[in-house]
Amino acid sequence: MKTLSKGFVIVASRNSNFYTYAVNLMESIKDFYPEALITLVTEERFIDERADEADQIIFCDNHYRAKLWGMSQSPYDITMYVDADMDCEHEDIAKVWDELGDRDMVFHELTPEREKFYAIREFRYDGGVEKYTLCGGVCLYRSGNPLVREFMEDWFELFNKQHNNMWMPEGFEKQQWDRDLKHFDQTTLWWLTEKEEKYKDLKIGIFRDDIRWNYFTQYGYEGLKSIEGKPPILRHYSGSLKKDVLIV
Amino acid sequence: MARTWLDNAFWETPKKEILNAISEEQVDNKQIRQVHKLNKLNEDGSPNELFNEVIEFLGEEQIEASTKKRLEKKQAEAELEKQKKLEQERSKKLEKLFEYKLETFEIPEIKESKNRLLKSKLRRSKSIPEVNLYAMMIVKESVEDENIK
Repeated sequence: MKTLSKGFVIVASRNSNFYTYAVNLMESIKDFYPEALITLVTEERFIDERADEADQIIFCDNHYRAKLWGMSQSPYDITMYVDADMDCEHEDIAKVWDELGDRDMVFHELTPEREKFYAIREFRYDGGVEKYTLCGGVCLYRSGNPLVREFMEDWFELFNKQHNNMWMPEGFEKQQWDRDLKHFDQTTLWWLTEKEEKYKDLKIGIFRDDIRWNYFTQYGYEGLKSIEGKPPILRHYSGSLKKDVLIV
Repeated sequence: MARTWLDNAFWETPKKEILNAISEEQVDNKQIRQVHKLNKLNEDGSPNELFNEVIEFLGEEQIEASTKKRLEKKQAEAELEKQKKLEQERSKKLEKLFEYKLETFEIPEIKESKNRLLKSKLRRSKSIPEVNLYAMMIVKESVEDENIK
């Protein structure tokens, strides 16, 4: 039986700070998991010696959501995508592959208690109220499955259309769409997982004790903790970093 | 219907001279609830009848028990609030520390260092002085290497 290749994908584009975050993330993963395979998706102009930490480098352009393109380019059979502005803090990172089980994709969950830290969670659709439930900050996925790979490609392409006013499905309210929804890849993710017939058989789940896999620093403000009482594995600094201000 | 008193009445002061109690009575098919803050004595020094009514209705033991229960609840809430504040401070400190580390990693000698162990120690540092300590060790190593060359 073929051994499945497993690796991390990290994307840093558009802003050189993300490259700095990505280098830190790669090194922090390897601090705890030296054998980890990592693919860095980044712009050629950012590359310096520190990129040697990556096992593979894929060049991307400065797209606003190069992340989605990068996810579709994974060279592995099983991929753990991690947002660049995260830091690995625990050796359980090496056990990430066990989280997939028989599922195709595994995410961090947007729950009501975490709601206040997200830009938007609820939105109006088809006369009712719908919710984003999946957070794309981390995603463990079976990239060797052609349907999952197609999903990732569609996620990127559909988001492009959405962002460029070329796609807005019926059922959404135009005003809210323009103001809150069209800029978010979450919206595309919701559509693909909830409404797209082609993907209805994909097995999508949530990490066990998922807070450990995407611990937003703001969770600490409310004292949100792991249900098993364990420390975070990946801490997410989204929201606290000044991404557009040069680090040095 | 005669006036009754809810069993969550409590002493406002340890000397048991002020009682906080809620009355309930039926007036014209409406149930009226009212919160009372009752002094043991009236302004002229005479006994407060309402105060005595509550004690007679509920008994001192009941009032004692609900006072204790309320105090425990308040203390638990205060402790929770204190913990929350501490967590908040810890999180903010961590955010600042992370930014400081990123800045430190941009120092050319550290950026170019191949010493994984020291870089890892720096990354795992719990405070700014600890970050500075490992940063100095990496820079020192770099300067020594340069001298050898």
